[in-house]
Amino acid sequence: GKAFSQDISVSGTVKNAKGEAIAAASILVKGTKQGAITNSQGEFSLKVKNGDYLVISAISYETQTVKVNSSEMDVILKEQDAALTEVVVTALGRSLNKAKIGYSTIAFTADQISKNAPVGLLDNLAGKVPGAQISNIGGPGSSTKVILRGYGAIAGGSNAPLLVIDGVPLANNSPAGSDNTDFGNGINDINPDDVESENFLLGTAATAIYGSLAKNGAIIITTKQGKAGNLKIAYNGGINFSKVGKLPKMQDQFGNGWGFEFIPGENGSWGPKLDGVVRPWGSVVDNSQLIKPFSFINNNIRDFYTTGVEGNNNVSLSGGNEHNRFYFSYGNVSSNGVIPTQSDLLQRNTFSIKTNTNYGKFSFNSFFNYINRKQNAPNTGQASANGGGVFESLLQIPVDLPIKDFQLYKNKFFNVDNYFTPYAENPYYGLNENGDQQRSDRLLGNLEAKYEFTPSFSALYRLGGDFENTRTQSWNQPNAPASGSWNGPNPTNTEGATRKVDPGSYEKYNQFYGTINMDFIVEYKHDLSNTLNLDIIGGGNYYQNSYEATDALVTNLVIPGFFNLSNSNQPPTATGSTTRSRSVGLYSQATLAFKNQLYLTGNVRNDWFSTLPIEKNSVFYPGANLSWVASNTFDLSNSSISYLKLRAAYGVTGSAPSAYQTYNVLNATNIGLGFGSLTSPFNGVSSFLVSNNIPNSQLKPIITKELEGGFEIKALHDRIGLDATFYHRITQNQIFQVPVAPSTGYTTLVQNLGHVRNQGIEIAFNATPIKSNNFEWNINYSFAKNWNKVLDLTGGSPNPILNTAYDAELRAVVGKSVAEIYAPTPQLSPSGQIVVSPTTGFPLVNTTPNTADNNITKRDYGSALYKYTMGFYNSWRYKDVSFDFALDYRFGGVMYSGTSDLLNFVGNAYNTTYNERKPFIVPNSVVANTDGSGKTTYSENTIAIPSEDMYDYYYPTKNPALAYDSRIISKSFLKLRSVNLSYSLPSTWANGIRVNKILVGIYAKNLLLWTPASNAFVDPEATNYGTDLNGELGEFRTAPLEKEFGFVLKVLF
Amino acid sequence: QKQLDINHSPNNPALDLGSPQIVFPGAVLATAAKTGGDLAILGGLWSEYYTQSAVASQYRSLVQYNIQSPNFNSSYTVLMSSGLKNYQYVIDKAKTSEDWNYYLMATVMKAYTTEVLVDLYDQIPYSESLLGQSNLHPKFDDGHTIYLNLLASLDTALAKNLNAPTSTNPGSSDLIFGGKMSNWIAFANTLKLKMYLRMVNKYPSDAENGIKALYATSPSFLTVDAALTGFADQDSKRNPMYEQNIKQLNTPDNLRACKSFVSWLQQNSDPRITPFFGKPNITTVNAGDDNSATAGASTAATFVEHYNDPVEFISAAESYFLQAEANLRYSVGATDVVSYNKGVTQAFSELGLDATSFIALGGAYMYPITGSMADKLQAIITQKWAECAYGCHGIEAYFEKNRTGYPKTSLVYSDNIAYIPGQIVVSKSSVLAAGQLPKRLVFPYVEIQSNPNAPALVPITTPVWWGN
Repeated sequence: GKAFSQDISVSGTVKNAKGEAIAAASILVKGTKQGAITNSQGEFSLKVKNGDYLVISAISYETQTVKVNSSEMDVILKEQDAALTEVVVTALGRSLNKAKIGYSTIAFTADQISKNAPVGLLDNLAGKVPGAQISNIGGPGSSTKVILRGYGAIAGGSNAPLLVIDGVPLANNSPAGSDNTDFGNGINDINPDDVESENFLLGTAATAIYGSLAKNGAIIITTKQGKAGNLKIAYNGGINFSKVGKLPKMQDQFGNGWGFEFIPGENGSWGPKLDGVVRPWGSVVDNSQLIKPFSFINNNIRDFYTTGVEGNNNVSLSGGNEHNRFYFSYGNVSSNGVIPTQSDLLQRNTFSIKTNTNYGKFSFNSFFNYINRKQNAPNTGQASANGGGVFESLLQIPVDLPIKDFQLYKNKFFNVDNYFTPYAENPYYGLNENGDQQRSDRLLGNLEAKYEFTPSFSALYRLGGDFENTRTQSWNQPNAPASGSWNGPNPTNTEGATRKVDPGSYEKYNQFYGTINMDFIVEYKHDLSNTLNLDIIGGGNYYQNSYEATDALVTNLVIPGFFNLSNSNQPPTATGSTTRSRSVGLYSQATLAFKNQLYLTGNVRNDWFSTLPIEKNSVFYPGANLSWVASNTFDLSNSSISYLKLRAAYGVTGSAPSAYQTYNVLNATNIGLGFGSLTSPFNGVSSFLVSNNIPNSQLKPIITKELEGGFEIKALHDRIGLDATFYHRITQNQIFQVPVAPSTGYTTLVQNLGHVRNQGIEIAFNATPIKSNNFEWNINYSFAKNWNKVLDLTGGSPNPILNTAYDAELRAVVGKSVAEIYAPTPQLSPSGQIVVSPTTGFPLVNTTPNTADNNITKRDYGSALYKYTMGFYNSWRYKDVSFDFALDYRFGGVMYSGTSDLLNFVGNAYNTTYNERKPFIVPNSVVANTDGSGKTTYSENTIAIPSEDMYDYYYPTKNPALAYDSRIISKSFLKLRSVNLSYSLPSTWANGIRVNKILVGIYAKNLLLWTPASNAFVDPEATNYGTDLNGELGEFRTAPLEKEFGFVLKVLF
Repeated sequence: QKQLDINHSPNNPALDLGSPQIVFPGAVLATAAKTGGDLAILGGLWSEYYTQSAVASQYRSLVQYNIQSPNFNSSYTVLMSSGLKNYQYVIDKAKTSEDWNYYLMATVMKAYTTEVLVDLYDQIPYSESLLGQSNLHPKFDDGHTIYLNLLASLDTALAKNLNAPTSTNPGSSDLIFGGKMSNWIAFANTLKLKMYLRMVNKYPSDAENGIKALYATSPSFLTVDAALTGFADQDSKRNPMYEQNIKQLNTPDNLRACKSFVSWLQQNSDPRITPFFGKPNITTVNAGDDNSATAGASTAATFVEHYNDPVEFISAAESYFLQAEANLRYSVGATDVVSYNKGVTQAFSELGLDATSFIALGGAYMYPITGSMADKLQAIITQKWAECAYGCHGIEAYFEKNRTGYPKTSLVYSDNIAYIPGQIVVSKSSVLAAGQLPKRLVFPYVEIQSNPNAPALVPITTPVWWGN
């Protein structure tokens, strides 16, 4: 009776199967709000009535309900199956049980992301995400390229994935300089040491709830947050040394000169055979000349580069109590790359504060990140009229001239007046006297408030912003060789040529980027029955994107060394622009769960865009995904399969067009001439003309629709796992400025057109062959293959040119891929032999339109896209020592190399020694003849290419038919991405010096690179054509990539 | 919705903020940039004032007459879209506001620009052109019809009341005459005269009736240059031919003295050789001789240009030569010799020189009063040819050569002993059949690729509709 209903005290412990105490387990009296939490020893005590039931739960354990039958209760909780408890952060910052989602994701933790003190968020992930192409494309601080599941947008939108940090879209802008410089993109600003996890949502189905922003997939970044408990201080840092990576292979047979003659003023190695004889070389100054042996210099270019040094230091403080927690960090990167001088410099300071507060039903979180960056970037590509082009200068130095000597660029033999050739500048001059620098301040963060009305009903408001100000300046020293000097007017050099005057320039370019993102989300959970649960959210979003730029440039500097807009005899050119776009969205997502085995999620979103015509600015995106944990449906306990999940998903997203394409405007008069221009204001009169572009008042967004399916299987007690995905994605309504006949009064018309298909497979396999307390061996292998095809471009050109380098073109072609490389090709006889000129013996370039290929006379050298990619990761841990390495293999695709182009032109390329530069008849060539009846016949070619004209054979202007064979090279490579060796000091040692944990490690990154023989020129990942589709053309005399070595130290106090 | 109505660019004025004052000067720059740039170089090369240097290569395809469809894409595009469309915009706006000054100015410039295109291409879209998206494939009209339409449009504009209170003073936004409307009336009349004369071969009655009707109105003709001046020595503000050929090109000496022109100047001891080529005693290159081993190839004088050279649309001298031809053919107006002498005098004085001794009795350029009609015509057109070397206007000399046959085409190449100075020769590097000269350009690629109504390509050796 009565006694039984009396309160009794119950105490006990909660432990796991191994007998280890479980802290923070919750004990709830069923049907009440009464309960307790276990302490660190797993102990609890509370008052209950006899006969009550206790519900005991803890993260990663299966919940148990027990009846109170004693005042002393020891409970043993069973560990949950890891596969069923893995939580991933998905769109809108929602943490979901991975088992519930029907699309492919792949997540990385802090340890994987920042193992070896990287500067960038994705530095350690290249090759580890099947379906993601990740590349760093330049030196320190340069852009990181990420493409998920191939290119869908040819025109009118980017192919970059959405980056989301703590629920707020992260701007991935590339604040440009005016020269050919790469100051990196927005993703590079985030300190990897602040990041807790990164989750790749590869498909549209996963990101459809984001609407327009995430049509190319998303990377969800979650930052570290403080935990209740003692103050934790952590130091993570490293010192990194870099050396230049792959450099071109040079020929070592022939030296300075042209046409087999030794000509000291020539910027090439078309001279005589190297004989080692000591001879004068270079300019004659004050009747004297330097001497050196006429022989090949090994590692000539490699020795130009220095050892880069980078320090990376991060300190974080975190802690708090059950109501308030905080995380604060400061990070500093100071890096000077391999280029001599400070031309490749990155100094980055990052401050991060994160707070989490919760009082009862109310919680409040905030995150702020301030980044200050100062960066110097080398000027790649072609020299502008004002100077620059370091790599261009470097590549054309003959193979027998000591490059390193030129660093005394004020020395009388190497200075502006007397540098050995009038056709190029001393590379050290540009490095020392010219420059490009960017300074940036960026503040990003969010505020998030949440109120739980009931355990099943909550509302959340999140305000995020990302604001960046950059100030870029570039300066080029004016210089002109003195009259009567080696290179000046009335030159004394062997060429009789005067080096062009550099008028000098100074440019100041200020850019502001700002995004504001607001979300209001309500969530409601309801159990429809014991077996059927509903989880539904509804929300609204407001997004605004702003860009402002002002740019001022002066040329013709009057006072050398004074870089200011006032220093010119010409008025400055100044421009300014402002762009703003907004969108408003409403969305809802509902998940229906059946018995922990079947999960159906449906989502809808409607966006209204400012950049669409105002009366037609609404776009609707549906999506759905289904997850079936089959291993919960069938009893597989007798099989070796421990987990089996099948999934299917479909999603639609759109991409808002860029601003200002719906109304017609006037443009300030700017008439292009053959070279130069004629502009307003003119003679004191300002004028504007009606734009030559016809805007589109019916403009639609780019729409991406994707269907994916896949499965996950784990077997042998989770020792092996396989995750496979197939996807099929159609991107339509590309936004082209289609050329129209000028007789319409216009040149282009904005139009939506085209369908691009990407379909592919992604496979991730992992295995743990050995797992014991002392030794663990893990391997991961990933494979991805994407088939890209342009299905149609009806209404526009069937093969629009996206990018060019001389006569090489990158085109999207209907029936082929979005990135085909075209270039001139020889005229062929019907039997496939090369037709040469009957007078010169040089191949004739094909001028017959290819009817099978849109009547193009150029040849398709192949797609620039990889055929497939693979990654392999291996790790061993023995006690406190761990060792791992990662390989990244990408196969297929071709690229244009501007480095090869220049090296071939100047005779430095290894392939220019073909036939030892002795006269040869073009192999497999014929001469076309016309017989009496007008018929064309072919006879054997007997005219050899003479030695003295050999250079013309490698010059695209003189031999366009064959020159591109050496300029279009394979993109395939295998890279040893990383090798890490680390050691965690035993805790006894660590405690001896009053710290909790110490880890020391050494590493190497990008240590080895294998490329096919056809690529003797560049690291195929390097490009100065940017991070989107245009970059697939290749590179144009860009900066080489680096290999790195370093030490890391991680200390937790 | 208000939050989303922000798609009007702050970087560009909206279309409805335009006005004749703002748009007209830009369109004039467009016409000048091309007729005084790419087309001036083409005209100068084909008129054989200068030719491609054998030690450079920029204009080699032009002296080879190797003209492909895309070669003049840019000129065609700019004249159509930046020029004609904006003249039409001004015409439409001015008509609505009854601003007859701008109406006349834009009508004249539209006629002038259209006429250049018709003379180059024989036929172009006209009646269905400049309609934007409402007609993406305008049909081509024949040149004669276009000419008649342009002449009618000039008559309409001339008939408007320029003194109406709604007519505004263009002032400095008239880059050609500074707002002096009497000059625009003269420009319109001179342009009409030029267009009627173009028709003398194929539509002689159109020409005769038109010119007689014109003279019946006691028309004023240009006594000043209709030209764009006011260039400054700054990037993008210089004479277009100078900017592109001298300032921005990597080598400023592609254009070298051509034997055809210089031999004539030298034969007549014409002092204009100094302003054109720097000094009287110069070496020359034969037209299109791209063999760098030929004597003179690298030493020939470079054609002299200045940043502030005018771009002539119709010069005063050209006006007099046109009048001289009308006087000669139809006995209207003054006597031909008076107009001719004014033309030669003006041609010398625009270079700061005095022609008195040249046109005096026994002077090298004395008008052949007693000569035949052909002699007289040859004198007029030859002098016009020489005059058009000034002011980036070679294209007009090239048209007139095609219309009149003057200067005559030489039977031998200019390195031959029998060569008569001043005659046009077939370029040595010509890719055409022997003896052929180019008579037109081929339809531009930018047009034919996007306009299915474009006619089939016509070889450049076929004369245009008014040509012989």
